[in-house]
Amino acid sequence: MSGYDFNGLTASFDGERVIGPLSFSVQKGEHVGLVGKSGAGKSTLIRLLYDRLDGEASLIPQNLGLVNALPVFHNVFMGQLDQHPSWYNTVTLVRPFRRDKDAVRTLLRELGIPEKLWVPTAALSGGQRQRVAIARAIYRQAPTLLADEPISALDGPMAWQVMAMLTQQFATSIVALHDVEMALAHCSRIIGIQDGQIALDAPASQLTTADISELY
Amino acid sequence: MFAYPTVRISFLFLALAVAGVLVADIAITTANPWQDLGQFFLGVATPNFFSTEGLMTALLRTVAFAFVGVTLGSICGFLLALVYRSLPVRVFCAFIRAIHELFWALIFLQFFGFHPLTGVLAIAIPYAGIFAKVYSEILDEADPEPARLLPPGTSSLAAFLYARIPDCWVQMRTYTAYRLECGLRSSAILGFVGLPTLGFYLESSFSQGLYSDAGAMLILFYLLIATMPLWVRPKLLPFYILAAPFFLGEGLPIVWGNVERFFTEDIIPSPIRSGEGLAAFTHWFGDVMVTEALPGIWNTVVLTQIALVATGILALLAFPLISSHFGGPVRRTSGHVFLVIARSTPEYILAYILLQLWGPSMLPAVVALALHNGGIIGHLIGRQTNSLKLRPDAPKGLSRYSWELVPRVYRSFLAFLFYRWEIIMRETAILGILGIYTLGFYVDSAIQNIQFDRAMILILITALLNIGIDALGRLIRRKLALQTMPSC
Amino acid sequence: MTMSPLKKWLAAGFLALSAASSAQADTFVFTAIPDEDETKLVERFRGVADYLQEQLDVEVRYIPVKSYAAAVSAFRNNQVQLAWFGGLSGVQARRLVPGSEAIAQGVEDEAFETYFIANTASGVKPADSLDELGDDLAGKTFTFGSKGSTSGRLMPEFYLRDVFSKAPEDLFSRVGFSGNHTRTLRLVEAGTYQVGALNFQVWEKELENGNIDTDAVQVVWKTPSYPDYQWTIRGDVDERFGEGFKQKVTEALLSLDDPALLESFPRSGFIPASNDDYEPIRATAENIGILD
Repeated sequence: MSGYDFNGLTASFDGERVIGPLSFSVQKGEHVGLVGKSGAGKSTLIRLLYDRLDGEASLIPQNLGLVNALPVFHNVFMGQLDQHPSWYNTVTLVRPFRRDKDAVRTLLRELGIPEKLWVPTAALSGGQRQRVAIARAIYRQAPTLLADEPISALDGPMAWQVMAMLTQQFATSIVALHDVEMALAHCSRIIGIQDGQIALDAPASQLTTADISELY
Repeated sequence: MFAYPTVRISFLFLALAVAGVLVADIAITTANPWQDLGQFFLGVATPNFFSTEGLMTALLRTVAFAFVGVTLGSICGFLLALVYRSLPVRVFCAFIRAIHELFWALIFLQFFGFHPLTGVLAIAIPYAGIFAKVYSEILDEADPEPARLLPPGTSSLAAFLYARIPDCWVQMRTYTAYRLECGLRSSAILGFVGLPTLGFYLESSFSQGLYSDAGAMLILFYLLIATMPLWVRPKLLPFYILAAPFFLGEGLPIVWGNVERFFTEDIIPSPIRSGEGLAAFTHWFGDVMVTEALPGIWNTVVLTQIALVATGILALLAFPLISSHFGGPVRRTSGHVFLVIARSTPEYILAYILLQLWGPSMLPAVVALALHNGGIIGHLIGRQTNSLKLRPDAPKGLSRYSWELVPRVYRSFLAFLFYRWEIIMRETAILGILGIYTLGFYVDSAIQNIQFDRAMILILITALLNIGIDALGRLIRRKLALQTMPSC
Repeated sequence: MTMSPLKKWLAAGFLALSAASSAQADTFVFTAIPDEDETKLVERFRGVADYLQEQLDVEVRYIPVKSYAAAVSAFRNNQVQLAWFGGLSGVQARRLVPGSEAIAQGVEDEAFETYFIANTASGVKPADSLDELGDDLAGKTFTFGSKGSTSGRLMPEFYLRDVFSKAPEDLFSRVGFSGNHTRTLRLVEAGTYQVGALNFQVWEKELENGNIDTDAVQVVWKTPSYPDYQWTIRGDVDERFGEGFKQKVTEALLSLDDPALLESFPRSGFIPASNDDYEPIRATAENIGILD
């Protein structure tokens, strides 16, 4: 498959249309940045896309969806629950296998939190939690990434590093970002959302910060 | 003030209770109630720990029955919680928990006799119904997001173990521990119908006026419950659970033919059993309804309403005892002790004691129910006020109580009260066994007369009444938008 | 980690079930209706158990129960094979267990009586017939013994209904069930109830032992005599414990002559009994609706 065609996307809240109807296609290899002011419908759109893909993509939602009572290891390991038989997963819950431990630890090292492997996610800071959700998404090894503000709680250099990692790990990605410069730097294509409609759709190389700020 | 629905409903219930008091049988019939009460307290103050050789065994059995019953109940309840969405399962659970442990024990006694299984099932069955409901509420509250994010193809077992259970685990553990405490109370009162737990000896000592012996048993029971955090440790639990079945005692062997006989003969209404036809059955059923069920229902409802309001009043009066907004540490500590004793004593034992001391009427039952339930609610509300921050210049004393605290906690107070409504009714019915003319009295009479068909009809009616009150309580809580937590 | 306690709980649950259903060797078990204070019952029937064990050459065990119905149920369910029943509980038990027999009764049980007692402050005065008491009794508080008792419930209720043509709850302002005869005595003595009905043997024994405050409570009426307590045995004991076992038990009971043991009942001795001796009790119970 060379890409995705999204047709007739709509969403309503309390009978009020918040998204669409809108349609667009994404080619394989494209890294799409979704921009627009808060409330424009970016999060809703990400959800819609995830449902359309039947879960065949890694998703990093804004609320992260971590299991607070479980340690970091298990939260990350959850990205590959479909890869193992039930007994394996159940044993892992009690006593993880070495090769999984090594794989997850390596991933966490790249994200700068290797020492947190056995800490319950409830005990982590916002930025650390965000990196656990990112690690889970990467660990899943899906071809496509859907992410909703994945780096909002990360500071400067770490945010850059993580964004670079995401675009490198996933062949295709659609990432909602409020940081316009970040979007221009890491994405190949920018889609601007305004009042639930596509107000801007252009390659990132043809845009400047000023072009995008009209959306806000 | 009447503009608030919470206030209107409070006054409605208050008026109902006052009307109830006017028609109810409220009296102290003993000649020297205070002297007897004094002797009882003297007995508690001079406990005799060496009265019965069986006391320690009874204590051990009490713990063993509680552990095995609650374990079995929590496992079955957990499995039922997984399919709790299905209507038949919900109805089934509502039904089994609407029947009190003592009624279950009375039923099993008829065919298992004095076999440990009687006591174990009497606790496990109603507890399974309660666990199923609460566990499913806890599971429903779990964040659904992690499960949504799992890769497609994840087995439902793995999804459940990773995305559902961990976040619910602490709450489920807390609730299970709380039920274990309830299980100890249930286990103790099973002795009143003949199982080898604490209630067996308590009843004997009390009925003979051996207050020092009874006092010793009560003190040991409070110690057992108060020290639970010390001896019920997660690490020790598996050991207790494995060991408990071996400490249930031998009892007497089960004769399985009795089980079949009970279900195919004993509980079949006698006119049908002897083939007298529908007309005879209608007459028989009418007789049960008019002479036993209706008076029983009336007394049960009247007593429940009075006890409910008395519970509410007591809880409102009692919560300042442990609230950090009033009094010093000394008063709070003694308040704490009082509330712990009030809530640790099973209503049944309290009612039994008061009936012995004050003579038979609804009064001992009302006081017992109010003390126990008021103790529980007062404790919860008191703790809740401790998390309230008042402005520095807030009024003190009575004004602080009535203007600052009560209005703030009133909604959760009502939520707890309506949550316990059904529990109070279940207890009210059972107190009939002690001689108050509620439904339990007629159930007990039927069993004493070896008329299990009547007993079963009356138990079914009791269960339906409980289910009705439970539904009404939930309706009121929903209408008033009162939220409850299952930890009450 | 987090899951391990749950798994252990599961394992233990199955263990609980399997351990609970194990059986035990053949022991001859008997019980008795709890008509008096439990300490007295345990003392009395442990003595009987020791005596029977010696006479019968099998292990004999007494189990205390909390209600008359529990005694009947245990007998019916074959968890006990022998029981010391009252008149009514014996009739109930033998109806439910075909083949069971009354084998022995106390000498005094041929002509048993119920005493109506009253607290002296109640103003109820002794009388020769129950109707003379009518005006005195009306509106008083009254307690029976156990709901399943012959002398404490069945006979007094029968005479009350017979003489006054009213249910007890219509005659008295309050009707209770004390639970046993000793408690009936204590409750009327203390004034909790103004009037009560109890087993005459319990009264006489307590009186003899000086345990009654005769200034506070007195006998106001005695019922005509009726048959009461008896030993009842299941019909299938011969199959289970060997040919002639029933006969051995009967003989052992009839020849019981330990004065201390007899005193604890209190009976002067045991004499043969038969099911037919209790026909009047059955008729009375049917009459007031306790038996269907």
